[in-house]
This record gives sequence, C-alpha cells and structure tokens, in this order.
Amino acid sequence: MALGASVLLAGCGRTQNALAPESHQSRDIASLFWWMMGGAWIGLGVVVGLLVWSWKRRRRRGFGADTEGPKPGERAGWVVVLGAGVALPIVVLATLFVIADVLVIRTTQAPAKTATRLTIRVIGHQWWWEVRYPGTRAVTANEIHIPVRTPVRVQVTTADVIHSFWVPQLNRKIDAIPERTNVEELYADAPGVYRGQCAEFCGLQHAHMGVYVIADPPAAFHRWLAREGRPAAAPSRALAARGRRLFLGGACSSCHTIRGTGASGEVGPDLTHVAARTTLAALAIPNRRADLARWIANAQHAKPGNQMPDLRLTGSQVGALVAYLQGLR
Amino acid sequence: MSDHILAGRPAAGRPAAWWAMAMLIASEATLFGSFVGTYYYLRFTTRVWPPDGLPKPALAVPLVLVACLTATSVPMQLASRAARAGRLGATRLFLVVALFVQSGYFAFESNDFGEQIKHRFDITRNAYSSIYYVLLGADHAHVFVGLLFDLWLLWKLARGLTRYRVNAVQAIAWYWQAVIVLTLVVTGTLLSARA
Amino acid sequence: MAVVEAPESPAAAERLDRLEQIWRSRPGLLGWLTTTDHKRVGLLYLWTTLAFFAAGGAESLLIRTQLAQPNSHVVSPSTFDELFSMHGITMIFFFIIPMTTGAFGNYLLPLMIGARDMAFPRMNALSYWIFLASGIFLYTSLGLGMAPNAGWFDYVPLASRAFDPGRNVDFYCLGIIFNSIASTLTAAQFIVTIFKSRAPGMSLNRLPLFCYAQLAAAFGLLFALPPLSADTIFLFLDRNVGTHFFDVALGGKSLLWQHLFWIFGHPEVYILIVPAFGIATSIIPAFTQRKLVAFPLVGIAELLVVFIGFGVWAHHMFATGLPTISLVFFAAATAMVVIPSTIQVFAWCMSFVTGTPQFKTPLLFIAGFIFMFVTGGLTGIMFMAIPFDQQVTDTYFVIAHFHYIIFGAAVFPIFGGLYYWFPKVTGKLYLERPGQLSFWIVFVGTNLLFFPMHIVGLLGMPRRQYTYPDGLGWTSYNLAETIGGFLTAAGILLLLGNLVYSYRKGADAGSDPWHGPTLEWATTSPPPEYNFPVVPKVTSAYANWDRDDREEDRRRLAEGLFVLEQGHEQVEVSAVDARLSDVVPMPHESPWPPLLAASLALVFSMLLLRKFGVAGVMAVLCVLTLVGWHSREPAEQ
Repeated sequence: MALGASVLLAGCGRTQNALAPESHQSRDIASLFWWMMGGAWIGLGVVVGLLVWSWKRRRRRGFGADTEGPKPGERAGWVVVLGAGVALPIVVLATLFVIADVLVIRTTQAPAKTATRLTIRVIGHQWWWEVRYPGTRAVTANEIHIPVRTPVRVQVTTADVIHSFWVPQLNRKIDAIPERTNVEELYADAPGVYRGQCAEFCGLQHAHMGVYVIADPPAAFHRWLAREGRPAAAPSRALAARGRRLFLGGACSSCHTIRGTGASGEVGPDLTHVAARTTLAALAIPNRRADLARWIANAQHAKPGNQMPDLRLTGSQVGALVAYLQGLR
Repeated sequence: MSDHILAGRPAAGRPAAWWAMAMLIASEATLFGSFVGTYYYLRFTTRVWPPDGLPKPALAVPLVLVACLTATSVPMQLASRAARAGRLGATRLFLVVALFVQSGYFAFESNDFGEQIKHRFDITRNAYSSIYYVLLGADHAHVFVGLLFDLWLLWKLARGLTRYRVNAVQAIAWYWQAVIVLTLVVTGTLLSARA
Repeated sequence: MAVVEAPESPAAAERLDRLEQIWRSRPGLLGWLTTTDHKRVGLLYLWTTLAFFAAGGAESLLIRTQLAQPNSHVVSPSTFDELFSMHGITMIFFFIIPMTTGAFGNYLLPLMIGARDMAFPRMNALSYWIFLASGIFLYTSLGLGMAPNAGWFDYVPLASRAFDPGRNVDFYCLGIIFNSIASTLTAAQFIVTIFKSRAPGMSLNRLPLFCYAQLAAAFGLLFALPPLSADTIFLFLDRNVGTHFFDVALGGKSLLWQHLFWIFGHPEVYILIVPAFGIATSIIPAFTQRKLVAFPLVGIAELLVVFIGFGVWAHHMFATGLPTISLVFFAAATAMVVIPSTIQVFAWCMSFVTGTPQFKTPLLFIAGFIFMFVTGGLTGIMFMAIPFDQQVTDTYFVIAHFHYIIFGAAVFPIFGGLYYWFPKVTGKLYLERPGQLSFWIVFVGTNLLFFPMHIVGLLGMPRRQYTYPDGLGWTSYNLAETIGGFLTAAGILLLLGNLVYSYRKGADAGSDPWHGPTLEWATTSPPPEYNFPVVPKVTSAYANWDRDDREEDRRRLAEGLFVLEQGHEQVEVSAVDARLSDVVPMPHESPWPPLLAASLALVFSMLLLRKFGVAGVMAVLCVLTLVGWHSREPAEQ
C-alpha cells in the first residue's frame, strides 16, 4: 500500500500514453507509428504540393478553354497515376505489411505457452475487473500486480458483455468475449504503476472502468501475492467488529466475497484485501476513508448506473463498515 | 406510342422488368447467403451438431418435396416462352400446372413445419433451432410470395396478353427459378447436419 | 446554348408546348405527394436529409459540449449513450447515403444519361417515402426517451435484452431494416436505369464518371445491406421471440454479430464516399476545363474499390482474438483496397495540374476534400499494421480517421456539389465571396475539430465515454475539438444561408454558367419536367462539350425526330452498347407510393409493439396496396 501510494505520488499511473512505452511490445508499436507517421507526412506533402502547384497555375477569369481538343499533359498524368498511384503504393504497402504483420506482430500476439512464467486471469464485469491468480487463492479487483521484467500470460474473458483490456504503455488491447478466453502478454521493463481502461463500449459506466497494472520487484510481488492469498484479517476494534456484523448480516454479503467469512457474493469485487488497493470503483475514486464512506453511503453518486444500490444506511452504520473494510489489508 | 423511331428493329436484351427481378433476386440471394453463412459459422464453432441431443433432420420427405418443386421449373419456363410467342392459352395452362404443384408443395411443407415445432423442438431451444427454423421459414415465405405472384398473374392474364403482362410472366418465371435454386441450397444446408 | 431556350421554328415551339402539356404535374401539395418526377423526388430527399444533418449535427455538438471539460455533467451517461448512437445512425443512414444517392443521384442521373426519368418512377418515389417514414420511426424513439443506446453498431451481448431491456435496440433493429428497404430499392433502380435508360450511343465507355460512381455504390448497397438485415433480424428475434443466435449459454456466438455487421459495415464506408467521388469527378473537369486524366482507369477504380471492399471486413475486429493467420489475410486484403483510391487521388491531382483550374467555391471544396481524404486515407493505411491497430482501435485515433474520411471525402464534395449544381436546380447564381468564406471556415473548423483526436487517441482516450478524468493530458485537446465543432457549425450555417439568400435574390444563371461537361448543362435551369425535348445524340463521355452533337439535337427538334411526344415516353437501350431497343410508356404521378410507405410504417410499428398478429394484418394491407399499384398498366395511363 505504501509502495503504491509513493509511486502514485511520484506521478506514475497518470498517463495512458501509447507513445510512452514501458515494454518491448509497446516500444515496437510506438516505433512503427513514428515511421508510418513520417511516411504519411511525406505522402500528404506530395499531394498538397500538387494542389499548391495547380493553384499557382490558376486562371483568374472566364471559361472556354479548348475542351474538345487533345488533353494537355495526358501522358504525364498517366505516368504519375501509374507510378505514384499504383507502383509506389504497392512497394510501400508491401514493405509495411512485412514489417508490421509478419515481424512486429510476433511480439504483440498471444505468447506461446512456454514463453511465460506466470498466468493471470482477468474477467471483465460491468464495470470492474476481476483478477485471479490461478494456482493460488488470491482474488482481487481492478489493480493487477505483476513481477517486473517477467513475461506474464493474461487470460482475458468476460462475465457479461464484451469489454476490452487495454494498458497502452505495456501492450495492445485484447477484447473480453463471452464465448472464449483471449490471451495476451504483459511485460513491464521497470517497476511502476501503469494505467489502463476498458476499450469496448460496455454500457453506462464504460467511462469509469479503469485498471492499474502495478509492476513490483519480484520479492515484493511474492510478498503481495502471499498476502492476497490469505483469508481476511479479523477485526481488531469494536467498531470494526460491528462493521463486520453489518456486512455479513446485510445486503453486502450477497454481492461481495470476503474470504474467511461467510460472505461469498459474486456480483461485485472480492473485498478480502480491499484496503491494500489504491483506488475504488475501478479507479473512479481514491481509496481513502472519506471517499469510501461516500461510496458506501451512495454509490450512485460517483458512478451513476453502476450495480451497487443505495443501501439506506445511517451515518454510524457507514462509519462501522468503513472501519471494518479499512482493516482488510 | 412513338414506335416509329425503332424502324422495326428487334428489342435488344431483356426488358426492364426482368432486370428489376434480377436485382430483387440478387438481394434475396445475398440474404440467404447470410443465413447459410450463419448456419455454417455456428456449426463449425460448436462441438456437437445438432447440439443438445436434438434429432437430425429427416431425409426422405424433404427430398421428395424439393424434387417436386424443382420439377415446376419446366412449366414456368414453358409459360415464359409461350408468353413471348403470344400464346395466351398455353401460358395460362403452364402457369396453372406449376401453381398446382407449387401449392401442394407449400401445403405439405407448412404442415410439416408446424408439426416439427410442436413435436420435435421449437425455435427457442438453442442456436441450432434458431437458425434451422429461420432458414426454413424464410424459404417457405419466399415460396408463399411466389404463389401470390402466380395468382396475381393468372388474374391479370384473364383479361388477355399485353406487353406489360408478357414482361411480368418472364419476371415471375425468373423469380421461381431463383426460389427453386434457393430451396435446393437451403435443403442441402439443413440436411448437411446428417453428415 | 440549351436546346429549349430558343426554338428555331414555330413547329419546334409547338412541340415544346405539347411536351409541356403532357408532362405537366398536378399543382400544390398533392402534386408533391404523388410525384414520380426524379427531380422532385431528389429535392424531397435534399430537404429531408438536410433536416437529419441538422439533427445529427446537434447531437454531435451536445457530445462535444459534454466532453469540453473533464468530469462534466451537461448530460447524463444514458443520454450521452443515446446521443452518440443516434449521431452515428443519423449521419450514416439518414444523411450521407440518402443525400448522395437519393438527392444528388436522383436529380442528376437521368439528366446525365439523357433520359426523361428513372426506369421505375413510382418505385423511386416509394424509396423516398419509405426513407422518410423510417426516419420518423427512428426519431420517435428519441422523443420517447428510448433512442438506440448501444452505439451505431450495437455489439451483443450489450444490445441483447438481458443488458438492454428497453425498446431502444428494438427501435434500432426495425428502423435499420425499414430504412434499408428504401436504399435497396434505390440501388436496384439506379442499376437498371444506368444499364437500360441511357441515350442511344452512350455505350458504357461513354458513361460519365458520376454515373460510374453511383453504379458502384448501388451494387455495394445491393450486396451489403442483406447481411445487415440478417443480423438485425437475428437480434430482433433474440430480443423478442426468444431465439439464441447470440446467446453464448445456448450455442450462440457474440462474434457472429460482429462478422455479419462488418461484412455490411466495411462496404458501407465505400458506399458512403464513392458517390462523393462522383461529385468530385464532375466538378474537376468543369473547373479545370479539361477531361479527367486517366478516365477509364478512374471508372474502373470506382467499381473496384467497392468490390475489394467486400473482402476486408475483419480489419474492424483485429482486437477480438481471431487467429493471427486470419488477421494477416485481412490486412493483406486491406492493403489491396488502397490502390484504387491512390489511383483516383493522383488522377484528380494531375487533372488539377494539367488543366487550367479556376478556384471557385465548388473547386475549393474539392481541393479540401482531397486534402482531408488523403489525411484520413494515410491513417487508414496505418491501421493495416495489425499491432498498431490493436493499440489504437476503439480510441479517438480511429474517430479522427473515419471523420477525416467521412466528413472530408463525403461531406466536402456534398457541399461542393450543392454550390456546383445550385444554378442548375434553381436557375440562380450563388454569391461567390461568402461561398469561399464558408469553405475556409468549414475547412479550419473541421481540422481543429478532428486533428487533435489523433493525439488524444494516442494518449489513451477510448471512444464512447461520457466523461474523462483530469490529469491524463486530454483536457486541452478536447476543448480545442469542441471549439472546432462550433466553428464548423458556423461555417455550415453560412453556407446554407448563402444558398437560401441566393435562391431569393441571386443573379440569373442561364443554362450553362460553368461550361459544364455533362448533359444536365444542355437543358434549361431548372430543367423542364421532361428534361430534354429530344433524345440527345451522344458520342462521348463529355456530351455537353460536343458542339456538333448539341447542334444535331436542335435540328432534331426542328424536324420532329426523336421527340417522343405521344405520351410519357422513354427509350430503352441494350445494356452495354446502348443500341436503341424499345420505346416504353412511363407512369406519371401516383398515390400508391406514399400509401405503401404508410402501410409499411404500420407493419414496423406493430412489430415494435410486439403485436405480431396485427403486424401480419398490416402486411396483408401492403400486399393489397401492391396489387392496387399494379392494377393499371403504364400504357393505360
């Protein structure tokens, strides 16, 4: 939590710039873009040049040129049309095709099974990301930790509508489709927080379905994973204990899971270690006491249309719940 | 009419009505192509076909019926020729013969359609049942429209032959050739589940 | 000098009078309701599509206002979803296609091929009334607060009843199917008319490029709309009858929707721009006073771009996880489709360079069109690089790409065409200075509106989000785009204002103010209802520049040859060589088209309300209307 907060304060996780790559995949895509853009400016320049040249040859008044005679410059016209309009594009397109769709695509497509050392499952929901670590008990939401400089296999699917998992600084996007599991690779060059977002319109709160990928040094990652796999901490104070009773006895447990308690709802995110996250509601609000309290009191205010109803809790009930949840590190 | 400018030359190519029917056929054939494409897309992305233990389609009855419908291609073509030659009686006769067999085909098929829905499986079972009944139903609907065309044509021909009606016979004969081909394709597609 | 303006003899004048008598239309509103005159139908399309353009434009300005600032609350999320969905649907199905084919195509096609009307005039009117009815049908949803809200492409499962339970998507499915009937009828109409109704002597190699473009778009519509109809039929059935085409739990596939949609959707984008190419290839020869460079190659390219466009659809699905080999195939096909466009771009530019261009307003819009189309085309080529596509698809980068193409390659030629043919349709000249000013304001406005979208997309802003947080570097670009949007709107208002003012107070244009190349300039402004008093003699693709042939027309009128004054008559020719084949009687004015459109509207309304039995009864009404329509044969009228 402290690591996450300091990295956030340092300014990471505040950009989704595809041209600020932090992995070899994104770097290859960014280089591809810069070369293509260079070529595009040249191509546009040629066409604009022809139009400007024609403007210089304009006549100011009248019509009536010899429209029935031989067409002036027809041969030059054919040469340009066939040369610049057929031959040159064929060469350029063939080159681009080979570079992008035969070579670069090898790094950005789904990795071979033996190429990765860790597998993560990401399941899209309206409007949050469920994150599982197969082989462990760890389940979290919206904030994905990976070990730095390690190829990680991400299996992406959806529990409801089509979403698209996209962290631009690390790799291209991959859709979350109900009838299959898609796969892409995540690899972070350096420790940090990388921001992403759902990139396929998925309903009312598509705009607020962000995701963090947090690359930790391997030892820190394993500590985090071990902690995430453990069941929830028992409440240490009376207020928190009251909060736990409210949680289990009320509507909360019908939608949320807290491992180690009776709460096993699957509509909303797993809250076993919610206090360890830096944000809530898929990056929509920071994970601070006051924000959490406002969220629980009226989730529709920050994210209208989301699936969490107005629970009609009193102030003291909210306070108790906040105390309990903030202890779930 | 200013026919004198034609100076007696014969008409070149087919009348506009035939072309219009060709456009309709192209559009409907593409629609059926989409349905058939959907059938095979679902089939090749589903492990067992038909899924959920649904029965495979019957073979004998559909084949006999579609053979009867295909046979009506002959009287329809003969009607078209007779109309162009100006033989009203022959045109009417061939149309009546075709209509008789086509109506019989439609009666058997719609009865069978209803029986399948009631006793075998209905359209809401799964993706297979959905595309099965949509393909079959769309084909029967086009046959039904053909029957309406035939009836209208016979009604018009009761008052004699004009150039307009000769064009109409050609266009409707063309429609039936296309519907027959579509029915063969649809039957073949649905029967491919037996493979 | 147009034939009709100065008849050489009393006999010629008498023939003109007789034609006027035969072709005169009913006065007043009833005349407009029952019209089958392609020019009136074209004008009806023009005003209706401009109204939808205003609606789509209002939707886009609301979107831009909401997005001008981060975390904004100008509209709610659900309203925003309806706005961007309706904006896309309106602009594509109710503005661009009906404007380029229904308005420009209808008005100009028969004139350019030397015909008196389309091959099936009543069916032409029917297309318009169905189009109008489908637009009213769709916009009723907005009035009821249940407009389509799953985008203009409604991916499932989001658009299924489970996730979108209201009637919004039902309005979408039925509205699209209803509208596509109109476009299919128009497509069939244009193909038959172009092949069968040309003036004798106009063999296919003498067909004006505007007509080639309309032919290409018509073939595109004919073959692209059925997959969309199949898709929306499946979705309607899933939502209302309980089928499972897209329901993964019971064997359906969500990608089935996407495949069928894009098999329609990609050819659709070529259908959007190819008629506009036709407008450009009409304006360029007129304002450079030179026949177009590489004419036969350009005609073939117009057809080829639509044809190859049927093979590239999955490039809209590069991020869906399809196998790499499929992606690579579609990227290769996408590369091929670039070539016909580059051929045309350089043919246009070389015509500019080797002719003597006069940069009046229409040509300015075409120069702007070339700039915008090339910009959008170059980013389109970038999308051929699959990894790059997978990075920026579904972001503002792709919004930039397709708006440069659609606004640049379709709307700019439309604006140029409105100015170019304004004198022909109204008989008045527009004001040149305000015209040029309107071009510059629109040009600057659209670049300010759409260029920053490239940047903000690369900075990671996905599309279709109703708001965005501050601090991601997107804010200033969004504000600039909003300003550009309002500037563009101002330019368009100036354009329309210029045309309205000039209609009232403009100078007389005469029949041929531009010394235009094609046959519409060989008759009066506006043309008489019968278009040409004689069947024109055609020996080239630039018939109005063949002075001898136009002289021959005047001789024919004087001698009474090829006047076709025994009723509403039209020639029919052979498909390729345009050899004279027949003289056919044409229908003239009929109440059946609006009646049939109204009956169809009842069918679709009943389907929307899920009253399937009543819908069946309404369908019987449609059949009866069709029988009534065909009860009197044209020769009897």
